[in-house]
Amino acid sequence: MTPTPARGARRRRISAAVASTTVAALALVACAPAAGDAGTGDDGDFAGQTLNALLITSHEGAANWLKERFEAETGATVELTIVPYDEIGSTLALDQQSGANTIDVAAPWYVSIGDLAAGGSIQDLTDWIESTPSLQTDDFIPSIYDPYTLVDGRRYGLPFDGDTHVLFYNKAILERNGITEPPTTWEEYLEDVETITANESANGVYGAAIFGQKSPLILGAAFANRLAGFGGSFVDESGRPTINSPEAVAAAQALVDVNDVAYPTPAETDFGVGNGAWYDGKVGFIENWTDLGVGSETNPDSTVAGTWGVTTLPVGDDNTRSRASLVAGFTWVIAANTEKTELAKAFIEFATSSEVNSALIVADPQTGIDPNRQSSLESAAYGEKYPELQRVNRATLSGSLAWPTGENASQAAQILTDELAKLLAGEGGTAQETLDRVQAEWEKILG
Amino acid sequence: MSPAVLAVVVLGLYPLLFILAAAFSDSTLGRPFRDWVGLENVETVLADADVVASFARTVLYAAAVSVASVVLGVVIALALERATRSGSVVRTVLLLPLITPPVVVGTLWKLVFNPGGGLLDTALRAGGADAASVAPLSSSAWALPAVGLADVWQWTPLVVILVYAALLTQDPSVREAASLDGAHGVRLFGHITWPAIAGTVAAVLLIRLVIALKVFDLVFVMTSGGPGQATTTTSYLIYQVALKEFDIGRASAITLLFAVIVTVVVLPVAALARRLSHA
Repeated sequence: MTPTPARGARRRRISAAVASTTVAALALVACAPAAGDAGTGDDGDFAGQTLNALLITSHEGAANWLKERFEAETGATVELTIVPYDEIGSTLALDQQSGANTIDVAAPWYVSIGDLAAGGSIQDLTDWIESTPSLQTDDFIPSIYDPYTLVDGRRYGLPFDGDTHVLFYNKAILERNGITEPPTTWEEYLEDVETITANESANGVYGAAIFGQKSPLILGAAFANRLAGFGGSFVDESGRPTINSPEAVAAAQALVDVNDVAYPTPAETDFGVGNGAWYDGKVGFIENWTDLGVGSETNPDSTVAGTWGVTTLPVGDDNTRSRASLVAGFTWVIAANTEKTELAKAFIEFATSSEVNSALIVADPQTGIDPNRQSSLESAAYGEKYPELQRVNRATLSGSLAWPTGENASQAAQILTDELAKLLAGEGGTAQETLDRVQAEWEKILG
Repeated sequence: MSPAVLAVVVLGLYPLLFILAAAFSDSTLGRPFRDWVGLENVETVLADADVVASFARTVLYAAAVSVASVVLGVVIALALERATRSGSVVRTVLLLPLITPPVVVGTLWKLVFNPGGGLLDTALRAGGADAASVAPLSSSAWALPAVGLADVWQWTPLVVILVYAALLTQDPSVREAASLDGAHGVRLFGHITWPAIAGTVAAVLLIRLVIALKVFDLVFVMTSGGPGQATTTTSYLIYQVALKEFDIGRASAITLLFAVIVTVVVLPVAALARRLSHA
């Protein structure tokens, strides 16, 4: 197979890195007998070297896919460490701070990169990215690239998993309840959910699954979807918090309104519970990552293959333009203290390339990866296999809503989540009071 | 340095000094001890209503599940002693919760309380009840008792074993003599059995209290501290602040204050255990 320009360039860089490594290794060998995994072999660019990669459970399929291909391409060995999605940042930070230094590359939640950078846990990759045209950074979806990589003008990673939510609906459930079109506003959405729950909850079918478990990546995502729909934002252009704006209050209230008619119960609904209810045909709507469409068709547990539809997230109040919220999203970073920086760079160049992203978003079994590049989003294979997903992604990725990413962003996300959890539990007063408290806390830590 | 001194330094002194230093400094997960901040972290923590509420919640929770475990454990141990000839299978079964990993216990009870087809839900539906709204782990009022139920289920066997062992050390002739003198039931228990096991029961209460004050795993698995803050115990809060918010300074300040509270709560029970053991 003729290599594409990007792959060819990448291979040249890998070869250059191999040459450098080889020279260094030969010099070391001349001085003393070498041990460990720093050498190179005859059968591959990084033969004999081992790369330790840290990923979350949702990316285990993608991790195995990458491991297999990268090992075949370079001769290196990739060791995977898989941790829960909300522990990857702390695992990486502790590994580096403790001096264990067992991790070379990781794909944490993009919101944590500011804290990881401030804590000296990840490398500043600005110079490498700017001096490496083969990375083709212009191809990254613009609304993803900066939020996923940029902290105070410096870049600390490259986007891995696009991760934006869209609204999936079960056509059969909607039809049974006389709903002919999916909702375009959050008000219509609430009416539809109420209708389905009223008609079918006795049979275990509900209007919607709402991700409400107390985690920034879960409850925070449900709120962010509505915040984007109502036209709000977490912070303004100068980085000042705007979390108690009228749009944010409307978003929080929309979440409260749907709480009582959702699949029981939002407080206990995490990804496993929500996705399980969806695959089981128990909910009319679910906000989810676009790869749920892939899973709906390929997951052995899915009973909704061929009976689902997908649309952009609803809008609310005066806002009429649907936009995505970057609710999750994961970024490849290089551990600060790794001694295998060149191998790590080669790996993340491979893992974030257009070819790899294009392959991952249509892979079967499902890999949990969403588009992060314009070329993969527009790829013929994606359009042919999942035209609806391509359409909604294309429609909403422009100007999408991102979480703050600077230092203390992890704490900010947790504060918001805690207060939203209290609001849903009836402990937090009104939506306005809840978000006023968050605004006050955010002003202290985000400035 | 003698082994004893080394053990004290490694197991006690170093962690304590680390927590003290972190509590009075600006410390993150990646960069501990960035700057000396004096009492700032402690003041921040004390001004945080959620933290103060977690202290009270944890102490009340620990007291409730400890008393429940001890009462239940003593009753079961007494019953076991009576059935000692045929009770070996029962004793083995009773040990199961104790040897089950806490994460499995949490998962099991989460499934029991699952409103979408869990044991409770299924049982209520089978009984004709509308179980749609029965979701203890989503109820601010019931979530903590539900976690407590799992806790009692898990740790009561420990109480049973220790109290049962104490019962076995009793001289049977004393009880027989009391019986011949007309002591039965509550009277026999109050005058003969209880004095013999009171020291053990108090010691078990102390152990149970300490375990309950540290509850984390069940909360982590069953509720993630929710709904709202209803099950956010102090151990869970410390985990959240340290490992999710990366704020080691504040987490250490909470730890320090919680250590003071634990000491205040535990000391009277320890004194009681000592007094009853020597009675």
